[in-house]
Amino acid sequence: MSGFRIQKEKLPGGVVLLGVKGFLDAHTFEQLEREFNNTFDAGSYRLIVDLSGLDYISSAGAGVFIEAIGVAQENEGNIVLIRPGPNVKEVFDLLGLSQIFIFKDTRDEAMKSLARVGA
Amino acid sequence: MSDFLKDRLTVSNDTRHLLAVRDFISRMARHGELAAEEVHKIILAIDEAVTNIIEHGYNKGEKGTIELEAEWEGDKFQVVIRDSARVFNPESIPAPDMGEHVKAGRKKGLGLFLMRQIMDEVRYRYKDGVQNELTLVKHARAKE
Repeated sequence: MSGFRIQKEKLPGGVVLLGVKGFLDAHTFEQLEREFNNTFDAGSYRLIVDLSGLDYISSAGAGVFIEAIGVAQENEGNIVLIRPGPNVKEVFDLLGLSQIFIFKDTRDEAMKSLARVGA
Repeated sequence: MSDFLKDRLTVSNDTRHLLAVRDFISRMARHGELAAEEVHKIILAIDEAVTNIIEHGYNKGEKGTIELEAEWEGDKFQVVIRDSARVFNPESIPAPDMGEHVKAGRKKGLGLFLMRQIMDEVRYRYKDGVQNELTLVKHARAKE
């Protein structure tokens, strides 16, 4: 049991939604890294990541997001994060990542935000 | 608070044990007068310290152990982490400019940055020929 799960969904306009659940740490971060890479390899660079099911994130997990947003933006895409719990948001804040990532409350708001990027 | 409480956990150098490390720290940290968000941050800081030992201390494939000793003494919560991996003194690593670090897409050094941000004290000691000893301290402040 890894304690971390990802659900992937294709949304209109080529946007990909990743729903992450459980614990994202040094033991599980490679699963997310692989999923981002698979998504990029398929030519999708506009992503929404739903963090509402994420119970915990450490810097190993945050590092995956740092790398991924770099790749997405280099390819005229972006990554929008939605609905982080307070503990998860705190880690982004502590690392100064809240100024780099766009956070939205809903999938619709995230879609609107991505519609302005490279569409 | 005059309570004195101490407990130990020993794990092997495998990231699969991070969950047990976090559970242990959570159980111990909750005994004091710390707000829930402070407890979460301490759990994170200790996770980062143990992760660094697993990923950067021991060589790949090398078998080793990591011992955690957590204790409350008055309002001081202290965690001492001992390992027998190669010498690694986090005090020798300068604090990164996190803005530049992140903009450049660099992932390394984030754990150390978090440890220093969260804990009141991060001290390293090398016990001659034996082990690394990392001490992390947080003082409980009155809950709001």
